[in-house]
Amino acid sequence: MNRQSIDQLFAVAGRELTTVARTRAFLALAAGFGAIVGVLGWTGEAVGYVPLVLDLLTPVEVLVPALALAVGYRAILGDRERGELDVLRTYPVSRPTYVLGVYLGRASALVVAVAVPLVAVAALVPLFGGVGTTVIASHGAADSPVLYLRFVVLSAAFALVLAAAATAISAAATTTRTGLVLAVALGLALVIGLDAGIVAGLAGGVVPDEALGAALSLSPNSAFRGLVLSTVVGGVESSAPVSSAAGVVGLLAWLAGSLAIATLTVWSES
Amino acid sequence: MTDATSTQRESEESSDRATVLDVEGLSHSFGEVDVFSDLSFSVASGSVTALVGPNGSGKTTLLRAVLGLTPPDDGRVRLTAGDRSGRDVGYLPQNPDFRSAFTVEETLQFYADLLDREVDVSAIVDRVGLGEASDRRVDALSGGMRRLLGIGQAILGEPSVVVLDEPTGDLDPRMTEYIFEVARDLADDGMAVVVATHNLAGAETADTVLLLDRGDVVADGSPDDFAARTGAESFREAFLSLTAADDDRDSPAISASADGGQR
Repeated sequence: MNRQSIDQLFAVAGRELTTVARTRAFLALAAGFGAIVGVLGWTGEAVGYVPLVLDLLTPVEVLVPALALAVGYRAILGDRERGELDVLRTYPVSRPTYVLGVYLGRASALVVAVAVPLVAVAALVPLFGGVGTTVIASHGAADSPVLYLRFVVLSAAFALVLAAAATAISAAATTTRTGLVLAVALGLALVIGLDAGIVAGLAGGVVPDEALGAALSLSPNSAFRGLVLSTVVGGVESSAPVSSAAGVVGLLAWLAGSLAIATLTVWSES
Repeated sequence: MTDATSTQRESEESSDRATVLDVEGLSHSFGEVDVFSDLSFSVASGSVTALVGPNGSGKTTLLRAVLGLTPPDDGRVRLTAGDRSGRDVGYLPQNPDFRSAFTVEETLQFYADLLDREVDVSAIVDRVGLGEASDRRVDALSGGMRRLLGIGQAILGEPSVVVLDEPTGDLDPRMTEYIFEVARDLADDGMAVVVATHNLAGAETADTVLLLDRGDVVADGSPDDFAARTGAESFREAFLSLTAADDDRDSPAISASADGGQR
């Protein structure tokens, strides 16, 4: 990537960040996510960081995909509908540069929207007297802010992967309706469909027991959940069906695959 | 078909004009339907070329093929920088729009940042007449101002060829006239401006008119040539005559026009 491409990358990413920052709907969604995280942290009266992670794990699994798809599904689609994608093609900007710039801009905003509330809610742990708790018997693991930080980092990584998926939808869709349908379908697949499919596969004998870990790593949600269980909660590591390595590979595959799809579909090289 | 430099009107002033757009044998179809076939023409720097024709005549598809946005089935498009050093082509699409939360200047600055050289965005804003609206958000611009913003975007980097696809649709007469004045100003500065339009009064201000109908260039030349060749009293009458019916296109006057070019 040469100097001009890097400058273009930052120009596109900056435009996306500015767009998101000036979009009231995104600010409202981010505030909503923050409020839900705060309420869960407060009502859960978390006595430690790991219990707080357990309180937040499922909501993060559900809400982060929704937030990512809402933030990202129109990023490139909007440019296409306004005719700006055609205009961009008259400039010396390549498909990978444009797609990566859009992704970086939107993903940066998403990571901030996800990580800031998660970090902020951790302040409730000392408030509820959990700061002195070093061992959580129920989870069989030492409690520590470091473990919580791992959860925040994994949540941010999860958001990055989902931002890439949203970017792919945004590039592939040609109309708002198509984009919306794809976004809803992917959201449902992530939260319910993929896991349900794996369970059905297990029940039907299509997925052998020994392949369960690999199969779960195919779903970003399962991979994220497995990574949190194995690297944060720890005490249930032995029963976590997704290995850390498989989970990381699964998330990276979704990230790279999504960006590749976005690059190939954003426009055709003539 | 003749090119922009070959008309009588331009012959005296075109000696220093270079061909910056050369289209040769261009064909495109959507399935079984031929949009156009074997089209050839060229455009010189410092000229305004109006592409006119009825709805569905293939103007937009032709422009998109010229821009490389729609790959043609056959033929060749050659864009050359001529004596200019900027990008090859600038483009204003039909009904242009931009991100609503950005100001005029921010919008142009974004596109300028994609170029490989410094651009004085403020000068571009002034040049298209949006100087007093440079801090205004896109969603606060009128339709005409958005077209001007689109033209500002199209001329960033001083392209050799500027393609404007129906830049005056739905605009009031004053704004329509102003946009054609801007197009003339760009041509006077050395750019080749290609304008697809339904506005015949605007097209009449062009150096060359290409009349596209049912996928063929049925006539080309200066607006005065159109009237002279058809015996019409005005360019408008000539246009209506030339696009009236298939049989009309077989008239000697029109055939002579169509055969006189580079196809």
